[in-house]
Amino acid sequence: MRRSTLFLVAFFSLFILLNSDTRPDSTDTSKSVTQEKVLSHSDKTTTETEHHGAAPSPYMVIPFLLLLLLIAIAPLFFQHFWEHNYHRIAIFLGLIVTTYYATVLNDFVSLKHTLVEYLSFIALLSSLFVASGGILIKVDKKATPIVNTLFLLFGAVISNVIGTTGASMLLIRPFMRMNKDRIKSYHIIFFIFVVSNAGGALTPIGDPPLFLGFLKGVPFFWVVEQVWLIWIIAIALILAIFFMLDMNNKAGAKEDQQYSGKIEFKGLKNLGYLAIIIVSVFLDPAVMSWVPSLDPLPVGIREIIMFGVVFAAYKTADKNVLKANEFDFGPIKEVAYLFVGIFFTMIPALRVIADLAKENSDVFTSSLFYWATGALSSFLDNAPTYLNFMSAAMGKFGFDLNGGAAQTQLFLQNPDAIQYLTAISVGAVFFGAMTYIGNGPNFMVKSIAESAGVRVPTFIEYIIKYSLPILLPVYAVIWFFFFRG
Amino acid sequence: MTIQQCIDEKKSGFLYGNRLILPFKGRFLKVIVEKDIITDFSPSSKGINIVEEDYYTSLYFLEYNTLRETLSEYENIKIIVVEKDDNIFDVTKHKKLAVYKTDTHEATIEETEHDILFIE
Repeated sequence: MRRSTLFLVAFFSLFILLNSDTRPDSTDTSKSVTQEKVLSHSDKTTTETEHHGAAPSPYMVIPFLLLLLLIAIAPLFFQHFWEHNYHRIAIFLGLIVTTYYATVLNDFVSLKHTLVEYLSFIALLSSLFVASGGILIKVDKKATPIVNTLFLLFGAVISNVIGTTGASMLLIRPFMRMNKDRIKSYHIIFFIFVVSNAGGALTPIGDPPLFLGFLKGVPFFWVVEQVWLIWIIAIALILAIFFMLDMNNKAGAKEDQQYSGKIEFKGLKNLGYLAIIIVSVFLDPAVMSWVPSLDPLPVGIREIIMFGVVFAAYKTADKNVLKANEFDFGPIKEVAYLFVGIFFTMIPALRVIADLAKENSDVFTSSLFYWATGALSSFLDNAPTYLNFMSAAMGKFGFDLNGGAAQTQLFLQNPDAIQYLTAISVGAVFFGAMTYIGNGPNFMVKSIAESAGVRVPTFIEYIIKYSLPILLPVYAVIWFFFFRG
Repeated sequence: MTIQQCIDEKKSGFLYGNRLILPFKGRFLKVIVEKDIITDFSPSSKGINIVEEDYYTSLYFLEYNTLRETLSEYENIKIIVVEKDDNIFDVTKHKKLAVYKTDTHEATIEETEHDILFIE
């Protein structure tokens, strides 16, 4: 493990070295000098999603497809080889694409952009993981279908305040503990559906793509204004299915078992760390002009604070709570290694999608925006997918995603534009639940459940037994009533 | 020595390589290490090999090289086990144990507290 950590450090060091060679792309020259000056660290990085260097060879999508395939089948056919080597394989495949971009395409902008996004992603996930790992919530209440359904509903709401990752990490253990005498795989799966994904569709804090939209000028409350009804219907449908399944679960605690009904919290000081993380999300030069950009460093003030929280929250945590939560860096390490591979191998895949979206922006309808964003968000990182389709939608109306917040707000004055961006937002967030790799917290919830002794479905079982028969019909209903046409 | 005596007297086990030595004998129902949930204790099991000695039991985790490196500070190996003389079909007799590594080869054995999440 130590050797691979060194490997990872070397991998990142390469970018820091390469960073000094990064030059603005020619397509950026259209920006005025003033715009460039005010362009923030993260705005630059998101802008670079639109960066168009030389097109990669279509064959460079193969490492990404191979990684997806391995994530899907390796745990089934060579589980222990995969468990012992997945980090090496993910990094190796990432390095193939990295080397290609650095030596063949000489495109360091895309590489740097990806590194910045990855570090931002892992900073948020790891800080929420560690901070919530120091909090113990015990609900001494009998787990009934109605209590479970209300618990998931609460999780869905709270995920808009502390993010889907924060809510998942905070609530998965109490949810399992409450159901310990009757827990089945579907409890974990529905938790992933509702709390780790669909729940966070109402605010930019809920899920990263919405936050990127916010950085691009989508007003903070725009999402909740557009999506609340869709959210209510989707969550109600998913919870109704969960309720019916849970009604048929006859396993349970002994009848004579007494419950106090109390909810006990330990490690409350970690709520302070969670608050710091949430506030730091907004510490971006694009949101607050007084926040200094640390460009050309691949991290900003926000990421530094988040990594600081990882250290402080772990060092100051109540050891008894860590023991009770069986705190281990394993799940976050797994996400960090797998997603470094996913982020870097998907650069060519995203580029192909961006080109297709731009070339065919005139044929895009709200239906196509919804399904295309959704389908790709099921397997790719939903944040860049959201931006690519938002760019295509704005292109239909002659607006440029890189034109600043004013252009975005002008774009959103058109009713069709509202419909398109709503379809993209919903598709990006909801469909993250379609696979384990659709959203960061999915894998962490899976890992925590397995460590506690709950068998959860494999990658393929998850899709075939749960997301296709349950989620897809729900999302089809949403499409039929809101995005058809 | 019974399992209960071991717990009451805070007896330790040992971790050597992929071997966990427990100072009791019992009937094993479930063992969880990391994300591996092991329920196959037959001689052909690919996950674990259980060897009963005179007064102790060795558990060999066949898919692991060094358990002490596998486990982190707060991680444990979870075991559901029943005393040899108890009725295996009586769920109230199922004991849930958590084995933690220490700075040495010793491994502490605790009956899982209410706090620890351990799904049978």
